[in-house]
Formats: sequence, C-alpha cells, structure tokens
Amino acid sequence: MQSKSAKVSIAIVSLILGIMLAVQFKTTASNNSAQLPTRVEDVAQELNSVTQERDALAEEVISLREKLGNVRKNDEAMADLQDELQKTSMAAGTMAVEGPGIILTVNDIPRKIQAGEDPNDSIVHDSDLFTLVNDLKASGAEAISINDQRITAMSEIRCASTLILINTRRVGPPFVIKATGNPDMLESGVNISGGWLSFMKQWGYQINLQKSEKVLIPAYKGPIRFEYSVPVEKGEKAE
Amino acid sequence: MWLIIIFCLLIGLAIGFQMPVLLPLIYAKYMSIAILAAIDSVFGGIRGYMEDGFDTTIFVSGFIVNALLAAGLAYIGDKLGVELYLAAVIVFGVRIFQNLAIIRRYLVKKY
Repeated sequence: MQSKSAKVSIAIVSLILGIMLAVQFKTTASNNSAQLPTRVEDVAQELNSVTQERDALAEEVISLREKLGNVRKNDEAMADLQDELQKTSMAAGTMAVEGPGIILTVNDIPRKIQAGEDPNDSIVHDSDLFTLVNDLKASGAEAISINDQRITAMSEIRCASTLILINTRRVGPPFVIKATGNPDMLESGVNISGGWLSFMKQWGYQINLQKSEKVLIPAYKGPIRFEYSVPVEKGEKAE
Repeated sequence: MWLIIIFCLLIGLAIGFQMPVLLPLIYAKYMSIAILAAIDSVFGGIRGYMEDGFDTTIFVSGFIVNALLAAGLAYIGDKLGVELYLAAVIVFGVRIFQNLAIIRRYLVKKY
C-alpha cells in the first residue's frame, strides 16, 4: 500500500523541517542573548544606568582636570602660562568662580489655568531664559549659571518638552540664574523698563532678584571637544 | 514509519545546529511561519499516510508551496501594515490540531 516514495518524501521533509527548526531555535536564542531591551521599564533602567555612568565620567573629568592643574602648578616656569590658563578657564567656564553678583529666581505663573487658556502661556520657556541671560551678559556679567549649569560659549538653552536642556542636562523650574559682576549694574540691566524681565513681571511670573556679595558659580562639568575646528596658525589670515 | 520521521527530524536538527547560518532578525518572523506551515504539512502527510490517501506529489508540493506562501503572505501583510501572519498562524494552528486529533483517533483504533 505505502510506496517507497512516500517514505522517502516524508523522510526528506522531516529532515528539512528539522533544519528549519534548528536554525530558528538558534536565531531566537541569539536574539535573547543579545538582550534587546523591548520593555519600557528596561529602557528606563538602561537610561538610569547610562545617566549614572555619565555622572561618574563627569566626576572623572573634574578630577583629571585637577590633576592636570597640579602638574602644571609644579612647574615654576609656567607661572605666566598658568595665569593665562586660569583666565581662559574662567572665561571658558571650566573653572568655578565666585564674586559679587545677583541671584535671579524665575518660576512659572502660579495661578490655576482657566478653561480655554493655553498652559504654555504660564510656564517659563527657553526663550525667556536666554533673553535674560543675554540681558545679563549685556550688563557685564562675567560668569552665568542656570540651576548650577554653567553657561559657556557653547552652552545651549533649549526646550525639551516639559523641561529645558542646558549643557545637555535637564533643568526644570524654578530657574535660579546666578551671575557674577557688578551687582548694581546687573540688577539695573535686567530690571530696565521695557526689558524682558519687566514683561515677565507684568505677566505674573514669580521673580525674585537678590544682590549678593558672594555668588558661587560652578564649573562646566561636561567634556570639551573640538571635532571640526582647528586653531588658525599665526601667519594665516582668518577669512 | 514513526522511526523514520523522528530519526530524520533529529538528523535535521543536528545539521541545523551545526550549520553556521543565522537568520537576520527581520526574517525570523517569516521563518517561524514557514516552519508552522511545514509542521502542518508533515502532520497532514502522516494523516494521509494513515488514511491510505497519501500522494507524494501533493505532500511535497504542499510542503514547499505552503511554507513559501505563508512567509510571502506575512511579508505582504507587513508591507501593507496588516498583521497577516496572524491569519497564517491561526489557520495552520487549527489545522495542526485537527490533523493531530485525527491521527490520535487512528492510533486509538489501531491499538
């Protein structure tokens, strides 16, 4: 009844099925071992660990900079250079500074949002912050930080949904803007009528401006990398 | 008969695990559906064998064409945004169970 060809075909088909199964097993097993984070919790956990890693690396950057500073300190001949370096570091924001200045605290409008009102109208935006920072710079601020993020030449102040990114760190309200400089100049600089702060006061933002004899502004904690720019040699003309 | 199937399956598994072939992730889904179709064909073949209605041509062509069609349909579904592979999974799943039930009855009757 059963021909030989039936057995042969079943045998071949089973063989192929076995090979397919084995390949599939291997593929799924390797996928599992690759541990692709598919669930939100996994991704969140990974984000946490990466954030911790980043903070650890930032600390390392600071300690290495200290070591570098120590090495340079030992060299007497480099005293002048040291001076120059210090000034440049202060300007670049890689060194914490302190001195007289102001502490400006800005927070969202506290009243409840009415029906039909745009909630965007009552929160502090990135544009508010950088306008204020610009006013401070214009009134002679020497160093500025927002919520302990040093504003450097390359710092961004950028909206990131409900928070604001500064130096790629997330920063939320209340925003404490610290600036060193002549306190009176700084105060009048941001308080000038028609200036942005006066508008913000009118709109109902919580604003607190304090002059202080000693404002501490932390150093920029991230790495500084130049991937595209190279210094121009003295002989060359910058175009 | 049973010995042949199990023996060949084992040999196939051994060959497959020794082969240095790894499917890319995106094709794994289609492969799984093709495997379902193949399993369905094998059970269908066994059933046909027990019912004395076994036809080699139908069996082999069914094995190849079903596997390719199932994978192809799943692929088209992906391109269309419809999860067509679910249809293949359900159809083949149901058929596998039906075939298994019929095979079981034959075995019960036989012994």
